[in-house]
Amino acid sequence: MNDLGSRIAPLTRRLQILLALARSDLHIRYGRGRGQLIQWIVDPFALVGVYLLLRLMFDRGGEAPGLMLACAVVPFQIILFSCISAMSAVSLREPILMNMSFDRMLIPPSSVVTESLAFAASFVMFPIAMIIYGVGPHLSLLWLPVVVAVALILALGAAWPAALIGLWFPAVRTLASQGLRLLFFAAPGIVALSEVSDDVERWIVYNPFTGLFESFRHVFVYGDSPAFWQLAYPAAVGLALALVFVPLYRREERHFAKLVGDN
Amino acid sequence: MRAEGVGIHYLFDRQQRTVSPTVAHIRRPGGDNWALADVSLEIGTGEAVALLGPSGSGKSTLLRTIAHVLEPDTGTMVTEGRLGSLLSIQAGVMAMLTGRENTMLLGVLSGMTPKQARAQMDEVKRRSGLDKHYERLVASYSQGMRARLGLSIMERTDPQILLLDEIHEALDHEFRDHLENYVNDLLAAGGIVVATGHDHPMLERFSTRALLLEKGRVVADGEFSEVQADYLGERTG
Repeated sequence: MNDLGSRIAPLTRRLQILLALARSDLHIRYGRGRGQLIQWIVDPFALVGVYLLLRLMFDRGGEAPGLMLACAVVPFQIILFSCISAMSAVSLREPILMNMSFDRMLIPPSSVVTESLAFAASFVMFPIAMIIYGVGPHLSLLWLPVVVAVALILALGAAWPAALIGLWFPAVRTLASQGLRLLFFAAPGIVALSEVSDDVERWIVYNPFTGLFESFRHVFVYGDSPAFWQLAYPAAVGLALALVFVPLYRREERHFAKLVGDN
Repeated sequence: MRAEGVGIHYLFDRQQRTVSPTVAHIRRPGGDNWALADVSLEIGTGEAVALLGPSGSGKSTLLRTIAHVLEPDTGTMVTEGRLGSLLSIQAGVMAMLTGRENTMLLGVLSGMTPKQARAQMDEVKRRSGLDKHYERLVASYSQGMRARLGLSIMERTDPQILLLDEIHEALDHEFRDHLENYVNDLLAAGGIVVATGHDHPMLERFSTRALLLEKGRVVADGEFSEVQADYLGERTG
């Protein structure tokens, strides 16, 4: 029992630090009080509204267009905001980085934890859109924990390189976030995969967002199981990013105080 | 606390921005600098050491290396005991958090459980004397108020090794007296204090020893008055 306790203690400690970092991040990025929750809920609605207008302007109404868009916007938000947050996560903590030693490996995951709360709040969209369009609920909702896990794996994997890019090349932070937005449009974000031509589909499937968006659509719109590749490919990309960038981040974190220092 | 052959190496790109060794491979080199070079020293329990030297001599870098904020590029730095440090001009507190939120964050990062950190909040508020400002963003604080908050939080983490970098110079007289009493109590309990700053009379009051740094090297080590005389003698020629 004691042995188990001594094994769990470091994990508990890391979890406490992770949550403390995420909590402070949350206050800095989203403020305090009820306004926080309202902002999280309203933001994805606003984004879906904009894309919905875009679809209608191009005469691409389709089946349950708002719900189809939500299936892309909601998972995309967690990846985009985790990366944006991670890009400034190290420099944001300059006062404490310059003052004390702590587990700096937890900085990128703390960005994902922070944005996960906004991600969770944005799920309010789904039941509302399903009621509006008279879709489901289907048994495929049982797949929800799996597709959410895939989104989080991809967000976590992308947070490590994002943190390094933000630190190494702070001038390209905006460009990098625009690059991610570009990937949204280079995936079936505004239109479903079934609506794109075969030529486009041939290369669009290499974008990890394609599988992610489509797996959300299977769960909420189509009412069946996501295809294996739709889950496996984005998860594999997330794991591959972590595999490459976690060791690199570990090597770099010992130099953080030099890079953000006020010397 | 023991340092053996400690070196801290900075690399720069052509625009004289500090870069990590990885990025140095990508960007065009702009030179390098050893902020600390071959520093070896040992500080025992109950010792208070003042670091003297001109700006850029490596005093702050040495303090940050002792705090494990910087990791040595050469040599080893071993510290035994809980560390408490006030090393940055922001006193280690986050501007966009309130005093209370900083207490929670820094408490947990210093080793407390969230429950313990929460239990310290009102005590930190009382000790810091920040009153209603404690619930406001630190961005609205003066440098002295930040130093008071940083010091009050750090005290509650019960450090055995205290590191101070000029921060005490931002404190008002009341808090300076408080800090001196705290330092004396810590030393009496077998703690270690390493401090730097330009307020030599204050450093002299609690220091048992001083080191003189020059271009990242320790060039003198001894009684405060002797090392200070070396330093001031060098400056006046």
